[in-house]
Amino acid sequence: METRGIGFRLAVHGLGSAVLAFLILPIFAVVPASFNHGTFIRIPPERWSLRWYGRFFADSEWLSSLATSLEVAAIATVLSVAIGTAAALGLARLGGQLRAALTGLIVAPMIVPVIVTAVSLYYVGRYWGLTGTLLGLAVAHVLMCLPFVVLNVGVSLRSLDPSWLRAAEGLGASPVRVFLTVTLPTILPGLFGGAVFSLITSFDEVVMSIFLAGVGAKTLPVKMWETVRLEFSPVLSVASCLLIVLTVALFALFRLASRREAS
Amino acid sequence: MVLTAARRGHLVTAALLLPALLFLAVCFVVPMAVLFKLSVTAEEGPLSAYGEILGNWVYLRVFWNTLVVAVVVTAISVVLAYPTAHLLTRLKGWALTLAVYGVLFPLWISVLIRTFSWILLLEKNGPVNRVLVGAGLVDGPVQFLFNNTGVLIGMVHVLLPYAILPIYANMLRIDLRLLLASDGLAASPWMTFRRVYLPLTMPGVGAGAVFVFLLSLGFFITPALLGGISNLTVAMLIELMVNERLVWSLAAAASFLLLAAIAALLALATRFVPLGAVLEAR
Repeated sequence: METRGIGFRLAVHGLGSAVLAFLILPIFAVVPASFNHGTFIRIPPERWSLRWYGRFFADSEWLSSLATSLEVAAIATVLSVAIGTAAALGLARLGGQLRAALTGLIVAPMIVPVIVTAVSLYYVGRYWGLTGTLLGLAVAHVLMCLPFVVLNVGVSLRSLDPSWLRAAEGLGASPVRVFLTVTLPTILPGLFGGAVFSLITSFDEVVMSIFLAGVGAKTLPVKMWETVRLEFSPVLSVASCLLIVLTVALFALFRLASRREAS
Repeated sequence: MVLTAARRGHLVTAALLLPALLFLAVCFVVPMAVLFKLSVTAEEGPLSAYGEILGNWVYLRVFWNTLVVAVVVTAISVVLAYPTAHLLTRLKGWALTLAVYGVLFPLWISVLIRTFSWILLLEKNGPVNRVLVGAGLVDGPVQFLFNNTGVLIGMVHVLLPYAILPIYANMLRIDLRLLLASDGLAASPWMTFRRVYLPLTMPGVGAGAVFVFLLSLGFFITPALLGGISNLTVAMLIELMVNERLVWSLAAAASFLLLAAIAALLALATRFVPLGAVLEAR
């Protein structure tokens, strides 16, 4: 916008910068909080220490919840990528209204409030033996991860020129060979992006998990949720920091891989 | 029997889609149908659960509170998102990269962590209160938590990116020559903003507002942790009905009332705001 008022521009930029700071900085409050020595969280800590990190890694409940999170995320991601990639390939072969309707169905769990989906899955899950199991948690997470895989693979499929497929077929390649040598390399970035987003979504998922978790299967966010409702222990900020590091590492890995892909 | 090529093509398409559709049917459609059946099969008659919710002031107040929170969160988010999106259009190079990551990064951090951070910052002896008291701005610590103030701060923080992204995408597509033309026709900067720039950015503002509003209607974690028991939201009410009061038919009815409100809003919104087009532009 060509504004002549320098004051106006300063105000807009100042406000915009303040909003960006408001978005990012508060998240990192858990970092100094995790280095508290005392039993009560103080920011900044009066005495810095790794005491609560030690407590986290010595507590079998926290450790097993971290392990459960990793297992559930792995299962959910493999399932999502497998059925999501196939679905994206299928959707690309459809036209018009049917395609729009099925895409709508796949994306619906993103629009329906998670609390509603969680309650419905919890109700039937009790009869189907899904509650308190790794599979139950993974199934719930797949509902949230699937849209990311289908959309990501769908976007990368758009760069696939149909004439390449016809050319490969014309040269006598079998359908499997066409898929492995033409389709798969083209959709690989989308597939990888979908997988990373699935992992992050599964690690971070809370609402579905608190309904479907049980003594036998409790993810890290569920353990955090149960703890935060009882006390504001510094162990919570340790768990938060670990989840943040995990997320950032995954995201960095994804950026690195997609940059290599581009070059 | 020999399959024709077209027939085989259809079969392949169906086979590719089958696993995902089967999964969604079993794990999404069936549970939702069961929940709906639960909402209409109360002992006192098919619509009694809905009647009980709509005829009870306690429940209606929860719906009203949810609506008020959603409206306020949406208004604050859009007002804060607008200048931020505009700032993004003015940045280049590393500053732009940094700012875009600033908007996207929070989306990938668990809502639980973001909410917990706000508890730490806003509690009675937390840094925010210490700064306010230390600077002499307030006499004693402000009660931010366990009321709507905390809920508003936390929810705006979580939902702001959903307002910024569509507005930013919209602003990028504006032909800057239109602004130069307005300038050349001797319109004041304010006039150019109000008569040219603002109307051109309204689709983005509308899409952002719809996203934030729809998401805040069903929000659970942030109000449950930052809010108090005196200002329940519908999501908290559903959780209470399921886990504490074990009244499944009421929980199911409340779920479908919430869903109906969201569906109606979405249907209304798509008539005025090109949501799909804004999403594509991302």
